[in-house]
Order: sequence, then C-alpha cells, then structure tokens
Amino acid sequence: MIVSISQFLNSKVFPIITLIIFLQYNLLINTFWWLSSPNWWSWSKYSEAMLRALEKTILRVVKTPYKGFYVDIGPVVGPADKIWTLSFNTDSPKTPLVLLHGLGAGVALWCLNIDALAATRPVHAFDLLGFGRSSRPDFSSDALEAEIQMVRAIEEWRKEMRINNFILCGHSLGGFLATSYSLTYPDRVKHLILADPWGFPERPSENVQSAVLWVALKTVSFLVQPINPLATIRIAGPLGPKLINTIRPDISKKYAGALKDTELIPQYIYQCNSQHPSGESAFRAMMSAFGWAKNPMIKRIDNLDDRVPITLLWGLKSWIDHSAEDILKNKRQNSYFNLRVIPGAGHHVYADKPEQFNQIVLEACRYADSQSVSDRLPIMPSN
Amino acid sequence: MNLSFAGCGFLGIYHVGVACCFRKYAPHLLLNKISGASAGAIAACCLLLDLPLGETTSDILRLATEARKRSLGPFNPSFNIHRLLLHALEKFLPEDAHLRVNGKLHISLTRVCDGQNVIVSQFDSREELIQALLASAFIPIFSGLFPPKYKGIRYMDGGYSDNLPTLDENTITVSPFCGESDICPRDDSSQLFHINIANTSIELSKHNIYRMIRILFPPSPETLANMCKQGFDDALRFLHRNNLINCTKCLAVQSTFVVSDSLEEHLVYDPQCKDCKMHRQEAMVSNVPDTVLNVFQEVIDSANKGVLNWIFKHRGMKLLSVLSLPYTLPADIMYATFTKITLLSHRTRRLVVPYRKNTTFTLNRLIGNQLETYFCEYRPCQALILSHNTNHINRLHALNNKNRLLGAAPHVGNLLWDASRVVLDQVSNALNKVNRKSQQITAKITCQLAITEYGGANVEEEIIDPVENKMNLNFTLSLDDSDLPLEQSPDRKFNTRQVLQRKPSFTVNKTDTMDDDTFDHILQVTSDHDAVMAYYYLDENNKVKVTEIFDVTEDESSILQTPHEKDVNTNLEFDDDELFDNSLEEDLGDNNLFSDPESEWTGGSCLEELEPTYFTCGKSGVADIRPEADRESMEATKNGNKFTVPSFSYEEIDF
Repeated sequence: MIVSISQFLNSKVFPIITLIIFLQYNLLINTFWWLSSPNWWSWSKYSEAMLRALEKTILRVVKTPYKGFYVDIGPVVGPADKIWTLSFNTDSPKTPLVLLHGLGAGVALWCLNIDALAATRPVHAFDLLGFGRSSRPDFSSDALEAEIQMVRAIEEWRKEMRINNFILCGHSLGGFLATSYSLTYPDRVKHLILADPWGFPERPSENVQSAVLWVALKTVSFLVQPINPLATIRIAGPLGPKLINTIRPDISKKYAGALKDTELIPQYIYQCNSQHPSGESAFRAMMSAFGWAKNPMIKRIDNLDDRVPITLLWGLKSWIDHSAEDILKNKRQNSYFNLRVIPGAGHHVYADKPEQFNQIVLEACRYADSQSVSDRLPIMPSN
Repeated sequence: MNLSFAGCGFLGIYHVGVACCFRKYAPHLLLNKISGASAGAIAACCLLLDLPLGETTSDILRLATEARKRSLGPFNPSFNIHRLLLHALEKFLPEDAHLRVNGKLHISLTRVCDGQNVIVSQFDSREELIQALLASAFIPIFSGLFPPKYKGIRYMDGGYSDNLPTLDENTITVSPFCGESDICPRDDSSQLFHINIANTSIELSKHNIYRMIRILFPPSPETLANMCKQGFDDALRFLHRNNLINCTKCLAVQSTFVVSDSLEEHLVYDPQCKDCKMHRQEAMVSNVPDTVLNVFQEVIDSANKGVLNWIFKHRGMKLLSVLSLPYTLPADIMYATFTKITLLSHRTRRLVVPYRKNTTFTLNRLIGNQLETYFCEYRPCQALILSHNTNHINRLHALNNKNRLLGAAPHVGNLLWDASRVVLDQVSNALNKVNRKSQQITAKITCQLAITEYGGANVEEEIIDPVENKMNLNFTLSLDDSDLPLEQSPDRKFNTRQVLQRKPSFTVNKTDTMDDDTFDHILQVTSDHDAVMAYYYLDENNKVKVTEIFDVTEDESSILQTPHEKDVNTNLEFDDDELFDNSLEEDLGDNNLFSDPESEWTGGSCLEELEPTYFTCGKSGVADIRPEADRESMEATKNGNKFTVPSFSYEEIDF
C-alpha cells in the first residue's frame, strides 16, 4: 500500500490532480466573489440599514428617550473617524456616565441597564472605534500603539462631546481601555467602574514537559496568530447568526426576559462583527496568544493616579482569570477601591444580573457625586 | 438550592469528588432536587440514594480500565458500555430506588424522533429508573445502534439537548469543564472565548480540549484520581465562597427553618459560631475521603505493579500492539458482530412474534443433560390457521450460556493478553503468599446512645436547667466469628440499619433511672417516625456521628414525655405543625432513615475501650464537649422556639 502511495505521489497524475483541485478551489472562491459582487446577494450579510434597524428594535426595550448621532472625531486613526453615540437624559446637570462595551458587542447590549442608570444622570454609550456602527480604520499592529490609538479616540470623543469629566464604566475589553484611558487622563475620570475587565492578570508561565506538546502549542499559536478572534462568524456568512445562536445560546437567553424575539441579539452581534474587523485586529494586536494581554494592566496600575476611585465588579461564575484582584487591592490601598462580586452572574455581569449591576454602578456614581463636593479626597469605602 | 450535574462520560469521576465534598461539608444541599444528564444523572441518582462512594468509584474505575485495555479503547467493538452500565446499575440500585428518587431526581433526555429535551422525574418501577438512566447515557453508535426505550418512546443522551438541566434560579451547576458553572475547574491557559454547547459553558482552552477527548477515551487511573480531587477542591472552594460550610448545629437550625418556610437570614450563617469556624478551618486543609482515595490507590497500584504491566507499559510493546491492530481488529469485529447478531435475533424473535399475532407455545422438557424445546406456532393466515411446529433440542449448556459459546470464538488480541496476565498474576500471587501473614481482627462495634430529654421552658421563666431526664446507653457488639482479615475483604459490609436496630442485649450502662423498655421504645420511635432531620459527619477522630432529630411530640407515650411536657406540647401545637409536620410529609417523607456512614469509614485501629460520654447541663460552661444534638436543641429552645425535641446521637466508633 505504501509503495502504491509513493508511486502515486511520484507519478505525473498527482500534480495534475492537485492542480485541478486548486483550480476548482479557485473557481469555488471566484463563484463566491461573483455571487457577492452584485448587491442582491453577498456572502457576508452585512448591511448598514439592517444593523440600524436591529439596534432600533432592541432599543425599544429602553423607555428613556434617546438621541443617536455620529460624533466626528476627525483624523485619529483613519482620515475621518466617526463614533456612533447614544445619549440619554442629557438635560441632567450631574456628571455623565460613559459606557464602553466589550469585544464583539455594541451599544444595544446595554439595553437592560440604561433605564436605571439614566434615571438620575446623563448616560452616553458609544460603539468603540472599529466596532459596531463606528467607522473602521486600520489600527497599528503594535500593542501599545493600538492601545494609544483607542484611548485617543475616546479622548477626542470627549472633546467633541464637550464633557469635562465623567464616570467611566467598561466591560471586558472596554474595562481594559477605560483603565488605560484613566492612566493617561486621570483628571477626566471621576470614577472608574470595571465590569469583569479583560487584560489585567499576567500570563502564567507555562511549564510544558513534553517537547512534542510544546512544538504543537507553538504551531497552533503561530497558526492562530494572524486570524482574528471572531473570524469564524464572518466565514460562516449568512449562517453567522445561526452559528452564534448555536455556540452561544446563553447570550440571547440573557435578554429573553426583555426581548421576545430570540433571533434579535444573535443577528445584532453578527451585524456588528461581519464588517471589516479593524477593532478586532486592534484587540489581536493587544493580546498575546490565547487571550492574555501583551501589556497586562496589573503591571501598570501603579502609575494610576491615587485620586481615581475604582469599583471592580464581576460575576462569581465568570471564567475570566481573577488572580489579579488581590494584587490590585493591595496596590490601591491608598485610594478608594471597592470590589464587588455578584453571585449567579457570569462574564456578562450587566446582562446576567442587571439589577445588582445597576445598583453597584449607581452606588459608585453617588460616591463620585459626593466626592465632587468634598474635592475628591481619597477616602476608603465604608465597608 | 438544587444541584445539577453535567453529562461528561468518563469525566463523571469529577462528580464523585464533588459528591464527597457535599456529603462531608454540605449534606443539607443534598436534600433537594438533583438533576443531571448522562453521567451526571447517574451521579445524581447515586447521591440521592446515598450509595457508598467507594464502591461507586471502584465501579467507574473498573469501567475505565476495562475500556483502556482493549485495542482502540472504548471503540473496540466488543466493549459494550451499555451492558456494563446496565449490570452496574442492576447491582447497585436498591429495590426501592425508584420510590426514593421520585420527584427528586431529574434526568435530562433527548427524544430521538424530534430531538427535543425531556426532563423526567417520575419513575414507576426500578426498571423504569434504570431505563431512564441508561437512555440518558446513550450515545448513538458508541453505546449501540438502537436507543433504549423509556415509557415506550426512544430516548438518547441528554447531552444532545440539555447537558446541564437547570431547574430554577437557585441551581448549583457542576461541570468538569472550565466555564461559567458554579462548580468547575479554573484553567489559566486561555482568556479568549467560551462557548455554550447544550447549556454547558465551555471555555476554549487546551485543558478543556483535553477533557473533551477524555469524555469517551478514559485516561489513566492517576489522571482520574486527580480529576476526582479537583472536583473535591472546586466544590470546597464554592462552599467556602458562598458560606455554605456550617457546623452541624447551625445546619440543624437552618434546616429547621427551611422546612418551616420561614427563611431567616441571620440564622443561616452565623459568623460568630465557633464550631462553624472550626468546621471551616478543618475544611481548608481537608482532602478527598480515604475510602475513595484508597480505591484509586488500589487501581493505580494494580496498573503499575506486576511484571506484565511493566512489559506492557514499555514503548515497544505499545508499538507492537498498535502494529498488530490490523490482525486483531477483524477478529474483534467478527466476535462483536456475531454476539450482536445473536442478541439481536434473540430480541427480534420476541418482538416480532406478537406483532405478527402468532400464537406460540414453548414446551421445555428436561431430560438428563438435555433440554428439549418445542416451539409450536399457530399463524393465522387469512381464514386458515396453520400450525407450524418446530422442535429444537439443545444442549443445556449451550442454551444457558449462549454467550460463552461465542466467547470461544476468535478473540485473539484479548485472549493472548488474558492468558499471559493470568500466568503472571499467579506468579505474583505465589510470591505474595510467601510473605503474607494471616491477620485476625475481631471487630467490635461500640455504640453509645445518649438520650436526653428537655423539659419545655416557659416563656417567662429563665432557662436554668431544662434537662429533665438523661440517659447514656452504651452497648458493645463483638463480631468474633468474623475471621476474615479486614484488609482482604474490602467488599465486606456492615449494614448499619440492622446493627442499630438490634436489641441492646449486650451491655447497657445507664446513668439514670429509666426502664429497660425505654430504649426499646426509642427504637420503635425511630422506626415509626421519619427523622425530621438526619445527618452524619466525620469528626476529627475519624468517628462517624449520626445525628437524627425525631419528632415525638405527637407521641402519646408517657415514657418520653412527662405530663408537663405534654401540656406544653399541646399548647404549642401550632408551632409543631409548622415546624415538623410539613417536613415529614413533604420534604423528608421518603428520605431514608439512616444515611449510610460506611462509605466514610476508614480502616483504623480497633477501639477497645468505651469512650466516656460527657454529659453536662446547659449552664455548666463545658458546652463544647456535649454531643452536637443536645446543643442544637438547646439553641433552638433559647431562640424562643418552645418546642421540645428529645434528641439523641449515635456515635459509631470506628474499628
């Protein structure tokens, strides 16, 4: 059998067959391109109109009247970047709350929280640059550079919005960026609320005994490196929403109480991620293999101004590594640091237990309000 | 709070670790509903039935080693996991299993016809329960071709539709995969994604990928032991985080309040309680119970010791077995197909006959060594009735052991393996026998019964000494006739229930003036009344303490109740109803009376002397050394619940 295989490999038939397969493959890809070129059909089912419609449908849950608009932040990364912003209760004179979403999400996913949060103060939620409905410029492939670009986009947005300072609340990747922003512009942040933030702990050193396993790991991480984390969704094309619902049925379940149509959330997430993945590649630049941050926050948190109060909250079930919490607590001994763990919630704290989440955020906001009167003295939390 | 176990094939050993922890530190959580799919359902059933953990572990390990020793592992055609599971369940499940788990055990199944998830919790018979458990663990093709039927409908593995059935908001989810479950391992290899397959959240990490492979391919006993330990540690971490580890006293108070439907937060967790603190600290350093660890050690040893294992562990031998696969595999396949066909034909004959509406008479005649079977079939063919007689004369041996006949069919790989194994085992046995000394241990069960009665305290009156009667009963039961060395008989069991219900005809020491028949009466009470609460735990001296609280206020007997008490009880009838009657009928109605403490017993030294029972009144300040049961009822009285709970504790001293 082995002889026949080697004969087959050496014979002239083999390259011809390979060539045919290769050509066929090209033909296949070409067919896709050909089919996707006219507007009536495309493999990637992204459409601006659909994303807008989906967002509107989801936001029907929110009772508070809102204003959606593009904020032109000028040439930050690309030539003219725009950030899609939702503003609630803008008439209130209190310090506004700004919400930053996580990887692969968009503004609409805050729908369960906005009503409670916007009751007393202005709330602004925006799609991060490179995500959702915001413009999608190509970020740098360097970890620090990409991070700085992201942070600058937030700062430019603040300037355009004419907000002096705000309470910054970030989830997952948003939490990482919020911390990074507070490091650069500590005076602008009156309170930093981190909901299960990404990128805090350091990557633990791995001791792989077997050489074979080591090689396999290196190969896998090498192969995975150029692929964007959510590429599978884009490859799935029109099957994308179905794929999301298959591998993450829990996401739509979280919103099942408010949204009757379980297809909405997967559709929305698909629409958010089926465009050019520029924000995702920025995330890819910021992470080393398998989701650990290249520049973990725990190393840099020392540089954070002591006056910035931090509320850190996460779900007890969350699968994110929480080993950094104790170190963080030790490092923030001289300032306000409030750690809250919500039992029964996972990584998506804001959607798993919206009531508890809102309560903690409002508590942090009240603290920020009280601090503005007493000139932001570092006081430890009462509990 | 309810529990839910994820389906996970051979990783079910993780659930054993979790179960160990719950039994040891949070037995009150096991009183509610437990759900599961696949291996999780079996684990849930074992937990609800209080099956000894050691034996369950050894059975899982046996299954795993059975699967490992064949070529292609569990995918070897002659490895029939379905049948092995059936045998194990038939062996372990008690006769009244279905009654005891009814309404509590929730098994997740997938209906074959439409792929919908079905959760069953009512079982009419033991067979039905077994069928449901088997159906929940049925992976098509891997376990067999035709899914088993439960109540006439075909079902397969619950893992296809809902692998982690959650009954309500307060469900503690247990999963051996790192993800968003309450009790699960925490990996530090990836931070990127997690997916949610059939309600089970799984992080995309290399550990989880390894675990996924191990669902069907069992790992080595060492790895399994580690997984079990991991389960124990994770469960302990969860209990710690949620403040669920309490001392028995606080547990008793808590349970009483749970059954009386008045959940009061301050009693559930009391950070001031010294015993709770001690219990917590003990839990910090504790480990998987020895019974389970011993089983692992045995299996690991048997897998590593011996000349044969040494040979087969060698890399060359592994290569050889892989290379010989093309030759042994066809033989295996042939054997398996042969067996399956005969089984199938056996089954189809039974199934098809009623379908055709034939009338069949089978006449057996046994003459000497020969069994003659006459099949008489009457087949209605249009209007005519055709009689169709066939005579089968079979050899008795062949008929009875159809499988053994086929067992002699070519089965090269395993046959060679088995033969060499037998020879080498004999050699090692012979070597061992030279060194072994026969040990004789006389088992002695010492039982101490401390019975204390508390008088009802009036509301105005300060409680000075509520103890009215107290009595210590000690009896020793010697099992001299058991000449089996303990080490050699791991299967030997002592049925606690029998021992405990035996008449105290041995030695009865009493410290108070009570009649002999009081003890009899108490025994009667225990058998008549379901325990309001029964739990046991292992204290630091490796003693199993069984504590049961019985509701005897309704009892008319004057031995256990003084007239004064009766008055108090009648006055407090409303309280009693609220506190106990609900529990008797609803929550603990079909709970077993005695939990099986053997599973936690460890082989220790023989305790010859009786431990003195410390018995003091409530005011004397040495409250800590009194048996747990007394303290808790004291506490209850002090808390203003004026019910009388004559409580007693059995202390089973280990031997």
